[in-house]
Amino acid sequence: MKGAWTVFLKELRDAVRDRRSWIIALTLAMLAGPVVFVLMSNFISGLEERVAEREVIIASAERAPTLVGFLQRAGAKVVDAPPDYLDRLRSGSLQNAVIRPPEDFEDRLARGETVEVEVVYDESHDKAQPVVRTAMRMVESFNRELGTQRLLARGVSPQLLAPVQLEPLNLASTQARGAQLLFIVPWAALIVAVFGALSVAIDVTAGERERGSLEPLLANPVEATALVAGKWAVVMVYSTVIVVLTMFGFMVSMRFVNNETLSALMQLQWREVALFAAVLLPFAALMAALNMLAATFGRSFKEAQTYVSYIAMAAQFSALVPVFLTVRDAAWQLWVPSVAQLTVLMKVLRGEPLTAAHLLVPAAVCVAVTLACLWLQARLLRRESIVFSRG
Amino acid sequence: MIEVRALGKTFLARRGRKPTVLTAVDNVSFAAADGQITALLGPNGAGKTTTLRILATLMQPDRGTATVGGIDVTADPMAVRAQLGVLSDARGLYTRLTARENIAYYAGLRGVATADLTARLEEMSALLDMGDLLDRATQGFSSGERMKVALARALIHDPQHLILDEPTNGLDVMSTRALRQLLAHLRSRGKCIVFSTHIMQEVEALSDRIVIVAHGRTLASGTSTELRESAGGGSLEDVFVRLTTAQVAP
Repeated sequence: MKGAWTVFLKELRDAVRDRRSWIIALTLAMLAGPVVFVLMSNFISGLEERVAEREVIIASAERAPTLVGFLQRAGAKVVDAPPDYLDRLRSGSLQNAVIRPPEDFEDRLARGETVEVEVVYDESHDKAQPVVRTAMRMVESFNRELGTQRLLARGVSPQLLAPVQLEPLNLASTQARGAQLLFIVPWAALIVAVFGALSVAIDVTAGERERGSLEPLLANPVEATALVAGKWAVVMVYSTVIVVLTMFGFMVSMRFVNNETLSALMQLQWREVALFAAVLLPFAALMAALNMLAATFGRSFKEAQTYVSYIAMAAQFSALVPVFLTVRDAAWQLWVPSVAQLTVLMKVLRGEPLTAAHLLVPAAVCVAVTLACLWLQARLLRRESIVFSRG
Repeated sequence: MIEVRALGKTFLARRGRKPTVLTAVDNVSFAAADGQITALLGPNGAGKTTTLRILATLMQPDRGTATVGGIDVTADPMAVRAQLGVLSDARGLYTRLTARENIAYYAGLRGVATADLTARLEEMSALLDMGDLLDRATQGFSSGERMKVALARALIHDPQHLILDEPTNGLDVMSTRALRQLLAHLRSRGKCIVFSTHIMQEVEALSDRIVIVAHGRTLASGTSTELRESAGGGSLEDVFVRLTTAQVAP
């Protein structure tokens, strides 16, 4: 390992002077927190407002004055549906349910018959879901009230119709409930770990080839492993700084956004930030080594960027596979880099208990793959086609 | 002392579908003594660069042997590198670092002590006339300036052996002159110097001994006078043309 320290110091100086890549990396790190938290906070407050307002939209309200009266008594604000409500529901500009009473609503009601009331909504707009549920619940309670009245009018106890009383006890803690979209926070952190040090990783590998400085460098009496180790250490330092800054940005933005529901949704205190760093740094080490290995095949910075972007995309999107397949706590998850990190970080945010395996297994996998990549890269540097072909 | 015996090196080149075997070096032999400048003279594609890369331990020979200071290049490449200075075909510098930092990096990799480095830098700077160059970032250096930095960096550990691949490529008159003076100075200090070139005038101005290489083979070697006499007179160029074309015929 003689020479690794010299390589480290030189590459560090070189990277620090590369102002453009610093600015890009710092911007990424500083913006990730505020952007994520402001978006999430807006999203959540949007949900809250609509539920709180209990806005109920009715098409042709004049057909059903009884229903309107009931809704108003229940504290809802009854609004007439806009004429193009079908299109607006589809496009998402109207994210609510539209209640559609039939023309003969009052007549059938008066005759004591069953009335079909349509509730129109578009499920693909996820913001609509809680509001839609509220609208349905209101129609249902109208149904219940009317039914009770009819039974009472015939001298029957309404209890006869309710042999079972549902008592919902939701086991998910408040934090866990809103966690469906919580994956965005660890995902943003993961993306920073993937992309943060990309340009440095390319510069110390394909950059050497492009400049034509690799061949003279290898003529020095230094083992290729020492060169690779020194270079990797610099990429790692860079990555660490960016990940730590991003976490800092997360904490600061969390304070600034100051959304109570959001703070109830997730834990993000010093303990969680430390856990984030503990999970992300081994992953950053792996990404550094993997990106360097792939970039070594590039004869120029541009060519290397192409190779590395495939890896970055794969790392970024494979993390989401369990989120969309709604896999939870499958044993294999901890063994797949990037999937493992997202899984564990989600647990941290949800405030779920962690075992030693949650931290150690993904870290061990990362360390093993890192070492394998560095070893392979040292071998590549002995390959004539790598050393002598230039961009 | 650098010795090359019956060196051979082939490559697999992939042109189209079928990989073809390219013989870069077929049979090259020469000896370069200490205190002398030896020129490898040959047309483009003669195998000069490959021979020098094998000497620099960056390529493995398929056949034959090469030794630098008595050490075989395949047996102990680290020991060979330690006593060798190389100005390779690629002479890329780190453009965000100054010339001084570029040179100091190689000094660090070669374990040159800081006190020695300062003294060596001063000496190289005087020899190559690069006083005002040292503390500028190398971004935008001319090819002459780049050559000076690359040469200073290759010589910073005061190696006994120096190999240079086409050192005058792209250099103006003044830079070529500085190079020539430096090589003469190193020769007077007993260093063993080997350089490759395809330019006839350069050979006579720079070297003590000439090795003519073409199609991967050594065709002749000796001083400029010896070569001209043995080949039946004429200029060095005549000798060169006669030797290289005779080789193609069979």
